[in-house]
Amino acid sequence: MAPFELVAPATPDEAIAELGALGASDAVPLAGGTDLLFDLDDGRLAPRRVVSLRRLPWQTLDWNGPILTVGSTLPLRRLETDPEVRTRLPGLYTAVRAVGSVALRHQATLGGNLGRSAPASDLVPMLLALDAEIDLVGPQGARTVPVDQFVIGSRRTALRPAELIRSVRFPEPRPSAYLWQRVRPFRDISQMAVAVAYSPARARWRVAVAGFPPRPLLVPEVEDALGPVLPPARSDLDRGAHVLSTRAPIVGDKRASEAYRRQIVRPLLERAVRRASGEKAGS
Amino acid sequence: MSGGRLRLSVNGRPTELADVPPEERLLDTVRWRLGLKGTKEGCRTGECGACTVLRDGHAVLSCLLLARDADGAAITTIEGVRSDPVGERVRAAFESAGALQCGYCTPGFVMALTGLLREAGRSTPLDELLEDLGGNLCRCTGYSTIVRAARAAREGLP
Repeated sequence: MAPFELVAPATPDEAIAELGALGASDAVPLAGGTDLLFDLDDGRLAPRRVVSLRRLPWQTLDWNGPILTVGSTLPLRRLETDPEVRTRLPGLYTAVRAVGSVALRHQATLGGNLGRSAPASDLVPMLLALDAEIDLVGPQGARTVPVDQFVIGSRRTALRPAELIRSVRFPEPRPSAYLWQRVRPFRDISQMAVAVAYSPARARWRVAVAGFPPRPLLVPEVEDALGPVLPPARSDLDRGAHVLSTRAPIVGDKRASEAYRRQIVRPLLERAVRRASGEKAGS
Repeated sequence: MSGGRLRLSVNGRPTELADVPPEERLLDTVRWRLGLKGTKEGCRTGECGACTVLRDGHAVLSCLLLARDADGAAITTIEGVRSDPVGERVRAAFESAGALQCGYCTPGFVMALTGLLREAGRSTPLDELLEDLGGNLCRCTGYSTIVRAARAAREGLP
């Protein structure tokens, strides 16, 4: 690991200034560190300065009516143990618990997961299905970006130089579910994952798939096929699963072949929709 | 944090260290600077849980934590677990159940379970508690006695 300077500013303005004083590859933000440290160890990143965000006042979780706002540096474990998250955004609860172990989730953060945007992220697909919005703050001020415009590729985001993720907003409680296929069920990387959520306000299903490069993505054709109601008609669910399996831009990589993924995604979608609809997952 | 200074409370004792490099992991600080060798290095990639310690009462992976990013925290290692009533209960449950074979994973399991039971007491259903213990690996596969110890430690809570 190349030597670097570690700073821990107390305010967002100071953090932005610490990052902005150096180029993007010379200064990197540190949240939980559970992903970043690997890149520092093997030299994929060799910054001169690491800016720890741990002292920023962003370890927050606020419900304002139907809207949930999660501070970017809140440890995932605190998101998972909020009783209202579990009942009002059950898919988010499940997706958070799919990340690492309890001890890892006491360190890892939602902002870190988004900022690092690993192609196999278990959180990004659920955020897509929940229409999460990302609040950013940087040298040019604050702006908000929908998550599907924020994660733009493998390890690539819409973050501008010295910009930070301040919080993530979820617009409404949604019946939702997250299911995955892995070699080992826990503490492994998903070969294929499906996030579904039903928006009562829009009378529409949202469906995202993940686990393959370059990034998790929404599949609007499947949402169209599922129709406007919860639970969907059996024939609509069949059609949605068929459309997802045959038309989604699924590819193969070292973790699973394209053919395997196209086959496994069918039952994953069917079970996820049934679970979001309040039925026990069928086999 | 200038001069690599690091202030921690370690097992209840105020501890001040100088010249701690930014890249040093808390695991190495605890084992090599403080000589607390009960905390084990397993995978060093956050997969096995052997290096679990408590930071401000919550289980964390000391191999994935920059020591200086823990500045100001209260750290509890296996050496200090008996001063926590829940920790002592867990330790005693592992002893009674004979929940160890080679023993390498044991400190991590004890700290992880202590953290979980401190957080939720008996309110976590047993199956969820055991799922939450899944971040710790036992290469001897001695899980049945570990599960027995976890169940006993949980039952004994108020």
